[in-house]
Amino acid sequence: MNIKALLKSLLLRKFTTGLLILQLAITLGLLINSAILALDTNEKLAQKTGLDAENILIVSLQPTSGNYRDLDYFRSIVSEDLQTLHKLPGVESVSLVNQLPINRRGMLGNVYDLDDPESVRKDKYLQDVKIFLTNEELGKTLALALVEGRFLTKDDELDFGSEKNGNVLITESLKKALYGEGSALGQETNNGRVVGVVKDIMLDPTIPIDKQYGVFGNRVMEYVFTGRNYLLKVTAGHIDKVRNQVSDTILAVQPERDIYRVITMAEHLQRFYRHDKGLAQLFLMLCGLMIFVTAISSYAYSQFHISRQKKFIGIRRALGARKKDILLYVLTENWLVYSIGCVLGLGMALAFNILLSQYISLSKPDMMLFLLASAVIFVAGTLATLIPAIKTSNIPPVIATRTV
Amino acid sequence: MLKMNNISRIYQSDTIQTHALRDFSLNVKAGEFVAVTGPSGSGKSTFLNVAGLLDNFDRGQYELDGVSVQGLKDDELSRLRNEKIGFIFQNYNLIPDYSIFDNVDMPLRYRGFSASERKRRVEEALEKVGLASRLKYLPSQLSGGQQQRVAIARALAGEPKILLADEPTGNLDSLMARQVMEILHDLNKGGATIIMVTHDPDQAREVSRNVQVIDGQLADFRIYAPLDRSTGKTVSAAVKEEMADA
Amino acid sequence: MRSNSMFAYNLSLAMQSFKRAPTLYFLIMLTLSIGVGVLCANLALVNSMASDPIPEKSDKLIHISMNTWPGDQPPDEPMHILRYRDAMKIAESDIPKRSAVFYASGVYARDVDSTSMKRFDSTVRATTPGFFKLTNAPFAYGSAFEKSRGMEVVIGDDLNQKIFAGKNSVGKTLELDGELLTIVGVLKPWVLRPLFYHVTEGRAFNLTDDIYAPLETAIDLGWSIHARSSSADNYSGVEDTRDKNAYYLQAWVELDDIHQRSAMQSYLDNYSQQLKDAGEHPLATRNELHNVNEWLTEKKVVDQKVLAFTIASVLFLAVCIFNASSLLLSRFHAAKFEVGLRRALGASNRQMLMQGLTESVLLGLFTGAIALVLSWLFLKLSVQFLPRLANIAVLEPKLLVLGMLLALVTSIASALYPLYRANRYTISAELK
Repeated sequence: MNIKALLKSLLLRKFTTGLLILQLAITLGLLINSAILALDTNEKLAQKTGLDAENILIVSLQPTSGNYRDLDYFRSIVSEDLQTLHKLPGVESVSLVNQLPINRRGMLGNVYDLDDPESVRKDKYLQDVKIFLTNEELGKTLALALVEGRFLTKDDELDFGSEKNGNVLITESLKKALYGEGSALGQETNNGRVVGVVKDIMLDPTIPIDKQYGVFGNRVMEYVFTGRNYLLKVTAGHIDKVRNQVSDTILAVQPERDIYRVITMAEHLQRFYRHDKGLAQLFLMLCGLMIFVTAISSYAYSQFHISRQKKFIGIRRALGARKKDILLYVLTENWLVYSIGCVLGLGMALAFNILLSQYISLSKPDMMLFLLASAVIFVAGTLATLIPAIKTSNIPPVIATRTV
Repeated sequence: MLKMNNISRIYQSDTIQTHALRDFSLNVKAGEFVAVTGPSGSGKSTFLNVAGLLDNFDRGQYELDGVSVQGLKDDELSRLRNEKIGFIFQNYNLIPDYSIFDNVDMPLRYRGFSASERKRRVEEALEKVGLASRLKYLPSQLSGGQQQRVAIARALAGEPKILLADEPTGNLDSLMARQVMEILHDLNKGGATIIMVTHDPDQAREVSRNVQVIDGQLADFRIYAPLDRSTGKTVSAAVKEEMADA
Repeated sequence: MRSNSMFAYNLSLAMQSFKRAPTLYFLIMLTLSIGVGVLCANLALVNSMASDPIPEKSDKLIHISMNTWPGDQPPDEPMHILRYRDAMKIAESDIPKRSAVFYASGVYARDVDSTSMKRFDSTVRATTPGFFKLTNAPFAYGSAFEKSRGMEVVIGDDLNQKIFAGKNSVGKTLELDGELLTIVGVLKPWVLRPLFYHVTEGRAFNLTDDIYAPLETAIDLGWSIHARSSSADNYSGVEDTRDKNAYYLQAWVELDDIHQRSAMQSYLDNYSQQLKDAGEHPLATRNELHNVNEWLTEKKVVDQKVLAFTIASVLFLAVCIFNASSLLLSRFHAAKFEVGLRRALGASNRQMLMQGLTESVLLGLFTGAIALVLSWLFLKLSVQFLPRLANIAVLEPKLLVLGMLLALVTSIASALYPLYRANRYTISAELK
């Protein structure tokens, strides 16, 4: 195949070739960035949460009646809820928390060692540490991994109006921020005395993985009105059964509650990234449309040039080109266009990536992705031009002796 | 070299059947220069298309250089065209986007020659027609006669067994036509077998054998004595002179 | 008359042309209308998000951000939420025509006379009475409450539909988290897109509230804060916040002109200076006034994801135009004999151009019609993918017009080069 001559003949139809190349480049640019968005989202969804997300059920609810303004009443109902839920077959443990892991803001507070209040100035993440009000079951429910010390116990629970800060669990990254490599046990923070350190779990996916600062205190009974979420650790395989029973179980204890969400921790993670996923899906849909449109263009482009080249194809055939030579010739011509389009597309992908990153966060394109996306373009383009190419190879050689 | 026996070629449309060739028989020996004449519509173009394996035929036998062509597959026909036949068309049929070199080179590529072999052959062929210095020109930068000489070079480069020329001087003025004819005669003297379709009785008279097609059949056999060529010059010498004039 | 019949002739030629190559024209229409449809759906979203929710006085309504945090590490600087005493300082000022100080809460509501115990989850705006006139809230029945304290509420149309089937419910009593409050006003259906008075915490496209309650009463009743709050002190409940450094109130004022605006600014700055002088606030004074549109811009109300997708759809439309262009080029090429013939028979360049343009305008109209249907579809689809946008996915009439115009422009744009090429085919070359 005479590539140089091919290139030259492409140059002679700058406009149509240019249009197609531009289309291919834009399509590739979008394809790459859409793939990046989709991959980014998948990566986010696949990141380690440190939680047995499939087997933790979240029940979010809110009392609807004024009776709950009586906090003793509130507390008695909650205690009964906890006991009743625990008795459900398949439920291993139940706890109550004011907020969920894997969330953007929530209840935040600054945390520092009482001897070193200035530390908050050095690490801005110490200003917005997640403060979990919960009960002694949390360690078991979330299957937290103890690094040192112990979990919270019933004895750590604080009563209404307590002046004390009580005992707290902290996450490992918070321990490192406050106490470095040393032990944190027995240290006094502004939020309480550290009795245990647990391995990090994903508290807020929008902040760095090593800044997942969290404090857990046994105080949800003290501020019982903040306890909006029951967490249930369920034996593997029982999740659906439990899910179907929880609402009725809770309402049987006391009906004046609005149970507005029953989902697993895994679904909660999905929900958190729902809009990222939605955007990626929108982009992929647009890509599909774009590939479709570009395929039509490739088809039209081939068709157009073949109609103009009929005579020359005939001459080639007369001079001894076989059908497959012609097929290869036409396809090579297209492939050459796609190659140029893809090379330009790389630039387009980078430019588009920069443009998009003004509005949303996304990773940089990599070579592998570029090659894959190019392969998609090649396959789609080749499929689209196969019919005109085959038609061309069927042009009879006798055309050569016809005078126009 | 070329043996046609009772060849028929019928064009079928919805209402009428046209016998473009009817029991057409012709035997051309190696080294012959045959002129095919006939009124338009007589079937001489069809004859050339069939002879050049560009078109198939409906009945009869056709043997080219010892190869019986009926029943051959499309690829085999392509191969035969490429190796055994050199085409010279009335309107040259050069590819306008290609340089002279690339045009002559094109059929050689389908032959699968190596790059150096192709280069040697292209240059040799262009040398023969006196255009070795114009490798990089586009066809549009050449005169009609020169373009036809490029086409002849393209036909020669593959060292074919037989040259098929379809009104090779039809689009040329008389001076250019003469130069082209001289090249063909020289090639014939060098041993090439040539079949030329022409409507010019003078050209027909110059060649070793003249056949006429009327109504799809071979009408007549007349053998003329080759015209006495007084100049005695070789072709390339004549061409060099022309170039010096230009 | 001649031009008129010429137009009719061109029109019939265009129709013939469509009939001669239906697949090709169908593909052109399809690709262009998909391109226009996708972009139009996006622009509808952007339009909803970027529109001015209260054009009659958006330049006069001012949101106030202040910096009064008692420590030297405020959560934000300045803060869009204020503590009670700062907000009251604004409310008591004579400079603005009116002001609104509020926070968002939520209660469960039922008609106290109803036999059903079903309680409806209702969003609450706990506010000073100035809110209604300031936001031009439309009343269907009754009127606003007049004081910041009192067991009275105004309810929105949605809740009135749910509890009272849309009837005049003024005078009825609601049970709200165990407390009894009387309805004094009912609003008409009220759409604010964006919900300018509360655009923070991702609420810009929420619906207007269900219940509007007097601020002091809501605080007294301890109705919890359902939006962002920051506190430098511990407090047990909202009722405990009035004299604490608890920041949760938003303040809007209505200022008639630029003088009032600067007066308000110095009023606030003076107040901050007093705090500073008293040693209650260590940082530099930083009070900011934003009118509605400034505030919407400041808070980046337009969803960035949608903007990103809009860029992609603009590119997509470009691809569609290129595609249509190359399709038309091959169509015109196929018809170049006819063009040559017409030219030879005396059609001027201009007439050929008119014929081509008539064809593209006709094509554009068909495309526009399909595009509008598609944009409605894509809008539904976008909401499937980005449910947060459900409340703003509306195709306003001006978007329909825009879609139609876009279709026409793209159709003509894609025909420009092919037409230019077609008119350059020489007469002789085609009729040889």
